[in-house]
Amino acid sequence: MKSNDIYIIDVNGEMDLYNSYKLKDLVIKMLDKKVNKFIINLNNVEYIDSSGIGALIFICSTLKKSNLNLYISNIRGSVKKVIELTKLTGYLPLTGTVQEALELLKNV
Amino acid sequence: MSKVILKDNDHKLFNTDKMFYKEFPSDFRQIRYFTLLIVQKAPPEIKELNLLEQQISELIKNAVKHGNKSNPEKKIKVWYFFSQDETRLVVEDEGAGFTKIDEWNEFNSKRQDCLENNDFERLADYVAYTTEESDYHDGGNAMFAALEFWNEGVVFTEKANCVAVGKTYPKKQKGITIGE
Repeated sequence: MKSNDIYIIDVNGEMDLYNSYKLKDLVIKMLDKKVNKFIINLNNVEYIDSSGIGALIFICSTLKKSNLNLYISNIRGSVKKVIELTKLTGYLPLTGTVQEALELLKNV
Repeated sequence: MSKVILKDNDHKLFNTDKMFYKEFPSDFRQIRYFTLLIVQKAPPEIKELNLLEQQISELIKNAVKHGNKSNPEKKIKVWYFFSQDETRLVVEDEGAGFTKIDEWNEFNSKRQDCLENNDFERLADYVAYTTEESDYHDGGNAMFAALEFWNEGVVFTEKANCVAVGKTYPKKQKGITIGE
């Protein structure tokens, strides 16, 4: 993968205590492949729990430490509520849409 | 002052009169199924049922995983009550108890300081509460959200193997005034 490529992950389904590790595993795998720009699209996620939030925090912290770029797009419904309850809307790099994230990453 | 997890055997949230009751084996694979069996009693008028399910699931997970260490020989006991105005829940496990409540409250207070000061750099140290027992799957953030969601409180017994929570919903305007 070229250094300027942006890796978009469309997450589908429920980010719960049984599934959330898969997203962390995927990002770790892509880091090995030298991906340095990530967009996580949560448009098709209807349910998230503390393990899912934990996965987002883990990914965000890991990428921040390495100065890599990440945006998390399309949080809505109960996913948005849970992130708000955890008060992480300022900590996580959120954008309304994938398009917005792409724009922001274009000039990085 | 920021919200804290309480320890109080006599707290009113531990009054289980007229509450429904179920007990479950500590089977990690069935946590969300157990949660659904409880949430099905919630009246359809409750908004954000998905969120309620998630918050209840966290308490059941804590009891099954952290309390009973997913030992299927050990039970969890759940008392629950739903109305249009209120949700209450008591979850008890057979474990050693959440002994680090004071430490957790202190951690959360520092986290709140970071949030109030928009100090996101320092917040990175306080986004997840983990202990030597935490594993790859633990988010370490469930109780932060719980304190916000359960607006009537999050209370443990002194032994700390039993937690009670409550949430009240704002009352709807039921009539209109059309003159005195």
